[in-house]
Order: sequence, then C-alpha cells, then structure tokens
Amino acid sequence: MTPTASLPTDIPLTQATTILAFKFQGGVLVAGDRRATAGNTVVYDRADKVLEIDRHSIMAIAGVPATAWEMARVLEHSFQFFRRTQLQEMSVDGKVRALSKLLRDNFGFVLQGAGIVVPIFATYDSGSDPAARLYFYDAMGAQFEVTDYAATGSGSPAVRGILYYENNWGKKPLVKLTEDEAVTVALRALDTAAESDTATGGVDRDAKIFPVIKVVSRDGIATLPEKRIAAVFKRSVA
Amino acid sequence: MIEEPYRWVEAIANRAEYIETQLATGSPIVVLGYRDGILFLTLGKTRQKLFEIYDRIAMGAIGHPGDIERLRMTAIELASTEGFTRSAADVSLRRLAHYSLSPVLKTAFEQVYGAPYLARLLFAEIGAKQENDLFLRLDYDGAIATNSATFAQTRQDFGVLSGTRPSTELMENYLAAEHSAGATFERALKLALDAWTVGHLALGDAGVKELPARDKIVTERKERLRAAGIEAAVLDRDDKTAIRYRALTEPEIRSALGD
Repeated sequence: MTPTASLPTDIPLTQATTILAFKFQGGVLVAGDRRATAGNTVVYDRADKVLEIDRHSIMAIAGVPATAWEMARVLEHSFQFFRRTQLQEMSVDGKVRALSKLLRDNFGFVLQGAGIVVPIFATYDSGSDPAARLYFYDAMGAQFEVTDYAATGSGSPAVRGILYYENNWGKKPLVKLTEDEAVTVALRALDTAAESDTATGGVDRDAKIFPVIKVVSRDGIATLPEKRIAAVFKRSVA
Repeated sequence: MIEEPYRWVEAIANRAEYIETQLATGSPIVVLGYRDGILFLTLGKTRQKLFEIYDRIAMGAIGHPGDIERLRMTAIELASTEGFTRSAADVSLRRLAHYSLSPVLKTAFEQVYGAPYLARLLFAEIGAKQENDLFLRLDYDGAIATNSATFAQTRQDFGVLSGTRPSTELMENYLAAEHSAGATFERALKLALDAWTVGHLALGDAGVKELPARDKIVTERKERLRAAGIEAAVLDRDDKTAIRYRALTEPEIRSALGD
C-alpha cells in the first residue's frame, strides 16, 4: 500500500463557491452565492461567504467553510485586539499579511486534501493614499492586489469572462458603474456561473434566495438589503 | 516587623494614604447613560484616559500611566480570550471585575513588600436595554462600587470617578438630582460637563464642600473649556454592529455643545 492510499481523500468535504468582487463608483462590491456542496450533494443553500472582518474589511471565501470561517474569526479578533491594545488601526498591509499567514499555516492541510480556502479580501485604506483596495489569494498565501476585479471558486472562470468583457466592451468600465448597475452585473455573473457549475447557487428563483452583496467604501461596509437585490434582479436579470 | 498584625495594618494605612495623595489631582471622569447609549467624558487631555475594552465595554482611568496600562491590557486580554474561545455574549463586565481584576488589585495592595497599582478605574457595559447598563468603579484596593440599588442608594444611570472621595460624592449628589435616563445626547453631554466641573471644583484642600451655585458652575465650565481639551466616547445602544465603542472627535463634541 502506498502512503497516500491511507489518506481519506474520498471523504466529501463541504465546499463553498463562487465569489466575486470589483471596484465601481461607490467603492468595492463583493458578492457571493449561497450554496455549500460536498461532492455532488448540496449541503446548504443559505451559506454566507461574504464575511465582515472589521468596519472596513470584508473577506469573501471559496473553499472549505470550516477552515474559512475559523480564519475569518481569527482575523476579526486579531484586528480588534490590535486596535484596542495599540490604540490605532492596523495598516492595510498588516491586515493583508495576516490573512496571507493564515493561508500559509493552513497549507499542510491543503496538501493532505482537506481545508483548501481561496479568499478575496476587500478593504478601505484610509492611510496616506485613501482608496478602496482589493486582493485575491492563492491557497499557499500569495496575495495579489487587483485594479479592477477578482473572482475565485469553481464558478469563477465564467465570472472572470463576464467581468473582463464588461470592463472592456461593456457600456462603461466597471469602475464607472453606479450601484444599481454594479448589482446587475454581479447578479448576472453569478447566475451565469450557476448555469454550468453545479456547485454555485446563483439565484434560487423558487425559494427566493439571493446572493449576499456588500459594498466597502470610506463610510464602512453596507450590506444590501435582500429587497433591493430582489428589485434589481426582477428589473434587469430575471 | 510586619509579622506583627498591627504593623501590617499600619503599613496598609500608610500605603493607602500614599496612593490617595498620588491620585488626588486626577481629573474627574463622568459616565452617563442616556437615551441612545452611554457617554464617557473627561477634560484636560494630556494623555488618553478613555479606552475601548471589548464590544460592549469601555473604561476610564486615573492614576499612573504604567499601572493603568497593565490593568487595561489585562482587561482586554481576558475579554478577548473569552470572546474568542466562547462568544462575545459570554464576555461580561461583572465577571471581569469580580473574578479577575478585583482580586489582582487587592493582592497587589496588600502585599506590602510589592508595589500596589496607582490607579482607579471606571467601567461601563451597555446592555440590551437601559436597565441592564452596568457602571462599575474599581479602586486601587480592589473595592467595587456599582450603580445597582443597595440599602444606601437607588439604582443610578451614571458612574463617576475622581481623585478624592469628597469630589466623587459631590458629583454623585449632583447627578442623582439632575440626571434622567431618558436624556438626549446633547443634554447628556452638557450635564456630563457640568458634573465634571462640580467634581473639579471639589478637588484639593481649597475645594468646595457643598454643591456650588449654578452661575459658579457655568463660569468655571466656560473657563475650563477654553483652556483644556475634551475627551469623550460613546457606547452605542444600536445593535446593528457588534462593536459599540466610538471615540468622539473634539470638533464633534464642541459642535454638539454649541461651543
């Protein structure tokens, strides 16, 4: 028996997909579908993959929720602990590195076939060059700052295609979109991903389950009410 | 020598006197429960005196900066550990003060060969409803005073802290007469400033013994406001976000005061 044969790689792990984020007029929009799957089974249809870490930071997760939620919890507490004890906000570089370190520490589990997480991190930098910032990571913890958009998870190839298309040949580049237009793009992209990827929930028209959409700006984080998303969906997606 | 009991009592009395002298010039801190939250206020900002401890808990302190810092760190670490391992709902000011901070202060105070903490702390924890708000004062010897009803007092919606006992008592008398829990933010801010002024007037050997007349408070308040910086913070009752603490900026305070 080879050593790897003893690894329980056939245990279906719960996974969550698809997440996307892009910069628009009002800051950074971060959206995630609601489906969690294990192999071919849909485990949960109301998963929240867009997690608030502090007043200005969002971590959106694709991958194993057990690991991702724990990472979010560690991040949330370490940012708060830093602010409370040091009496100043942690720098954006510090926050971005903190998540990178958690991913790196987790890589052993990833190699054993359990606990892969590929997050997106969006935050508002109120330092010397105030701006909304957006990063995506690989499973080993490398961080990549993006200028326009990011998407990860099993449905992300379709989403990336749409965002690239919209950004280059749409009516206007993503960064010029109003909030309603940005929500439209996000809903259409997730719905497209769900069309071919069974692990992505998209919009559940029967149960009326909509993606989670949050916006990061200088004023903090705004969670778009479901009614608002439903209205945009009805008007420009359905 | 301090093996003899009465020597120990003497040593304790001496150190209490020493600590009281050290704390006697501390600028008062006023904490008021109002309609939408809890307000912390103090004047004379040479260094920060109001601090966030956890989601629903804040602290004001007077004393030696080094000692305040050690106690503040202890409080934050205890609250954060509890909040991380269990949940934010399991973090409670009552437990923090009674089971952790008070014993630490008492031990340091009574170990006469070691250094005591030169600090006096005032905590507040915001509840779901106003009647659940907790105001808790912790003295250098570990003694605890809260706002809850006892034989000697009815429940209070405020807490105060000052350098001397007469100043503390005068502020308490003033607020017991003047403060109502349903006050607006602006009203609470003005009253907190008046209460601070009363406490400040009562400090020192030449301090007032009785509540000063209204016009004296107003004159003194105006003069102090011109000279000193204001430090204020609120714990918000609104539960939309987990973190309720917010430090107010000086322009924000001055505009709310109409100053």
